[in-house]
Amino acid sequence: MRRLTVIATAVLVALLPACTVERPPAESGGWDDTGEVTYWMWDANQLPAYQQCATDFEASNPDIDIAIEQVGWDYYWGRMLTSFVANSAPDVFVNHTSKYGDYTSRGLIEPLDELIARDGPDLSQFVEGTGDLWVGDDGKRYGLPKDFDAVGLFYNATMAQDAGITPEQMQNLTWNPQDGGTYEDVLARLSVDVNGVRGDEPGFDPRNVATYGLGITYPPGGGSGQTQWSFLTATLGWSHTEKPLWGTRFNYDDPRFQDTIAWWRSLIDKGYMPPVEQAVGNEPSQLMQAGRVALVTEGSWNISTFAKLGGIELATAPTPIGPRGFRAAMTNSLADSIAAGSPNKGAAWKWVRYLASPECQSVVAQGGVVVPAVASVVPVAEAAIGAQGLDITPFTRHLREGTAFPFPAAHHAADVDSIMEAATERVMGGSADVSSLTAANEEVNALFTQG
Amino acid sequence: MVTVDTAVAPTSSTPGQEAGGLTPGRVLAWACLIAIIAITLFPFYWMLRTALSNGTTLATAGTSWLPVDFTWGAFRRVLGLATLEEAQAEGGTGSAVDFWVYLRNSVLVASLITAGQVFFGALAAYAFARMRWPGRDAVFFVLLTALMVPPIFTQLPNFLLMRDLGLINTYAALVLPFFFMTPFAVFFLRQFFLGISREIEEAARLDGAGHVRTFFQLIVPMSWGPITTLALLQYVQAWNEYFWPLLVGSERSVRTLTVALGVFRSQTPQGSLDWPGLMAATLIAALPVLLLFIAFGRKIVDSIGFSGIK
Amino acid sequence: MTTTAVPAAGAPASGAPAVARPVGRNRETWVALGFILPSVFGFVVFYLWPSVRGFGLSLTDYQFFSDTSFVGLANYQRLLGDETFWNAMLVTVWYVVLNIGFQTVLAILLAVLLHRLTRSVVIRGLVLAPYLVANVVVALLWFWMLDAQIGIVNQILSWFGIGPISFFGSESWAIPTIAFVNTWRHLGYTALLIFAGLVMIPRTLYEAGRVDGASEWQMFWRITMPLLRPVLALVLVITVVGSFQVFDTVAVTTMGGPADASRVIQYYIFDLAFERLDYGYASAVSVVLLVILSVIAFVQLRLMRANESDLA
Repeated sequence: MRRLTVIATAVLVALLPACTVERPPAESGGWDDTGEVTYWMWDANQLPAYQQCATDFEASNPDIDIAIEQVGWDYYWGRMLTSFVANSAPDVFVNHTSKYGDYTSRGLIEPLDELIARDGPDLSQFVEGTGDLWVGDDGKRYGLPKDFDAVGLFYNATMAQDAGITPEQMQNLTWNPQDGGTYEDVLARLSVDVNGVRGDEPGFDPRNVATYGLGITYPPGGGSGQTQWSFLTATLGWSHTEKPLWGTRFNYDDPRFQDTIAWWRSLIDKGYMPPVEQAVGNEPSQLMQAGRVALVTEGSWNISTFAKLGGIELATAPTPIGPRGFRAAMTNSLADSIAAGSPNKGAAWKWVRYLASPECQSVVAQGGVVVPAVASVVPVAEAAIGAQGLDITPFTRHLREGTAFPFPAAHHAADVDSIMEAATERVMGGSADVSSLTAANEEVNALFTQG
Repeated sequence: MVTVDTAVAPTSSTPGQEAGGLTPGRVLAWACLIAIIAITLFPFYWMLRTALSNGTTLATAGTSWLPVDFTWGAFRRVLGLATLEEAQAEGGTGSAVDFWVYLRNSVLVASLITAGQVFFGALAAYAFARMRWPGRDAVFFVLLTALMVPPIFTQLPNFLLMRDLGLINTYAALVLPFFFMTPFAVFFLRQFFLGISREIEEAARLDGAGHVRTFFQLIVPMSWGPITTLALLQYVQAWNEYFWPLLVGSERSVRTLTVALGVFRSQTPQGSLDWPGLMAATLIAALPVLLLFIAFGRKIVDSIGFSGIK
Repeated sequence: MTTTAVPAAGAPASGAPAVARPVGRNRETWVALGFILPSVFGFVVFYLWPSVRGFGLSLTDYQFFSDTSFVGLANYQRLLGDETFWNAMLVTVWYVVLNIGFQTVLAILLAVLLHRLTRSVVIRGLVLAPYLVANVVVALLWFWMLDAQIGIVNQILSWFGIGPISFFGSESWAIPTIAFVNTWRHLGYTALLIFAGLVMIPRTLYEAGRVDGASEWQMFWRITMPLLRPVLALVLVITVVGSFQVFDTVAVTTMGGPADASRVIQYYIFDLAFERLDYGYASAVSVVLLVILSVIAFVQLRLMRANESDLA
């Protein structure tokens, strides 16, 4: 036995030089104009519309086949990286602002500047701001925007009516980090304990609540706080980084940010929001349906999910007005990127251009799920979505009123998220004070100084 | 003391024949058994109840004991019988599920893996348990170390190997790493072969049978119980394998059922899950294995009797 | 295997004092080698080689899409100071203790109940039912049933005035819950393995015991347990090593949360390798896990003397 171990060790040592790591062959891909273009997307709700786009596209481009593969969001990015490693990546895929930095820095996706200069489209056709999100920190453009989203409120209209809250009140909520403004008044009014006492009435029992005013998701926010707190901090003039896109210094140590989180945390103690640990594993839409929460802050991309919910009467409202007199909402845009290793980038580019064209986007608009980034078809989408029963203008008004701000694209996004997720979770769970976010901020910023 | 007892005796004592019949101890024992079975089965009822509910109204009565808003829609969705509009109206997704393709892939992959593992495992187990050759125990121990290798550790190098061989998204990639050996099969069968009395083997030897014949004509038939049990266990394991198929076989043409169940996971960021669809798919995916068990179950549990044991 | 064996005259019975003719012994060696060849091939190609490759990678900073260089033991040094790693080890051990404790006791109990109470194949089949459902789905199902706000289990508990309990959401409950979920799935499987060992015990022993006036309880401790040892050893080695590798359940439920309370080692490795593409470091963590598992399994086998059978 001992001899065997010795031999095995010797063999191992001898083999070591043999297992120097091979790099995946650097692929430059090819520029074929024909063949099959594989296209990945994650949102099943949008699949039918894009399937229609593919059919229309194939009709006018008979020598190109579009094969759409839908992969759920939970798996999408893991499988994407794996497929790049396996040299079986899709030719074109739907990309996300928070992720594409990982792909540009590794040279996995194709810059589009020269192609756009040669073939168009005219970038002015897009809703303002959506195109800029797709310019990487190297100044190159990596995607054509196709839709945009914003954040707003979904609330249970029946509960609001029972609480004596009018739709007008809901459309003009105010907020500040000290007393929470009329936003907090509404949340308190909507909270009902097991004895039927409301949150703003004496004798309310915050430990035994039947319906919470505000829902919370798990994990509570991560680095961007997109649907959780970003629309509040922005009304105080706070921003995530020192510049809107590709910043390298985060501001989680700013008192404006920490005051907002402290206020948010106080809702749990007051019984207006469930403890964070109870949010693990359930979805806002389920809790709304079950009558456990009366109001949630959510992204416009979920509007069709909420519109489909049976058994409850919902309505939408814009985010509250902050102490400086304006609203704010984070807006994000999805775009289609081309894999640098694709053998038929010519065909892929044709498809990407078609996806961002008014022809395809008006099909998407009629699908009633998302709002296209092509400005001319926005009204069509608003009408199609409205026809399903929920008004999307509380979300889209931010674009018209100039109160939207972009998703903070930055490098190390995954690490920033995991640090801030853990830190926010500790604060919201009550095991750490808000001031601990300063230390988390140092940890985040160290990612950028260490190269 | 050898008793060659080839009579097929009942393998366990029949209840009721013990002295005393219904003693308090037996009542307690039955109560334990019933409790375990109840906890085992309740989630299955919950799966069925959910699978027969309507996804859009499910959460309105999350704790109702009966299906919410009864519908066969989830099963129709999974089997690809529902139109897109029908599916979406009940909280399903727009993604198509090629159920029959996935079923074929699962059956093919699990069958190949099981056949390879059991056959090669039995051969090796016999060599380790009943034959004498230099270095036997050392080799066995080395093979056993494979048991300690965390799958995650070998998965990536194996993934790179499959990539380099150009096998990604082929059946070969799904089957090969499990086909030739699983330490569990070797270990399991060896433990049983060890228990077979030597005298029987020696009798065969005296009749002039070599090792190969002894193995195929004596040992295999005698160990049919453990071999079938192992085959069933490994089949289920291969059937439910998740991570590896996800890594190397995510393409539609070779996708297995387990991987396909992933389609029902969260479809949109912070979106909702099609619970009825997921549960219907789960039940349907478990069905083939369940049928297999019903078909072979009696054989397994009845034949784990060893004749010829001291 | 197409060798037709020529009867080896007077091949020694293994176990008998070997007065072997060298030819017979040689033959046996060759046949044995033929028998183990496929397994050895599988072992070398799919276990040994990847492990060696993995070990090699652990000495580099391999990250897939960037240049790779040899960094010696730097990954191992980093590991020593990595709090997340040590926490993951602790969490994993806690999980193993709970899971194996629950599972082994319950499985022995269940196997004995099945063995002594009923011959119904239906009941034996029912017990195995959870094992027929994929891990991932079992995890999702319980995730939903145990939900703090709308789960059926908390509904039932509330009738008894308990709860609501955040089974997956609170730091103290997460690991016990995951251990319970996996016990639920594997109980029937483990019990079936033990059951297979039980039916190998000759009935005559129990009959003799009953004649001597021994109670079920005494027979269990004096006959069943000692004779079950080889099978129990097998089951324990398999389940302990398997339970160290808990992954699926965590991946689809808590994803390591809340606050790393369920970040088990395998999930940490997965996170490093496939989410952060830090493959060199992930390999180093795997190597350490491999060493730990080998030691544990080796000690177990030694303690249980799994190599011997009391029946042979």
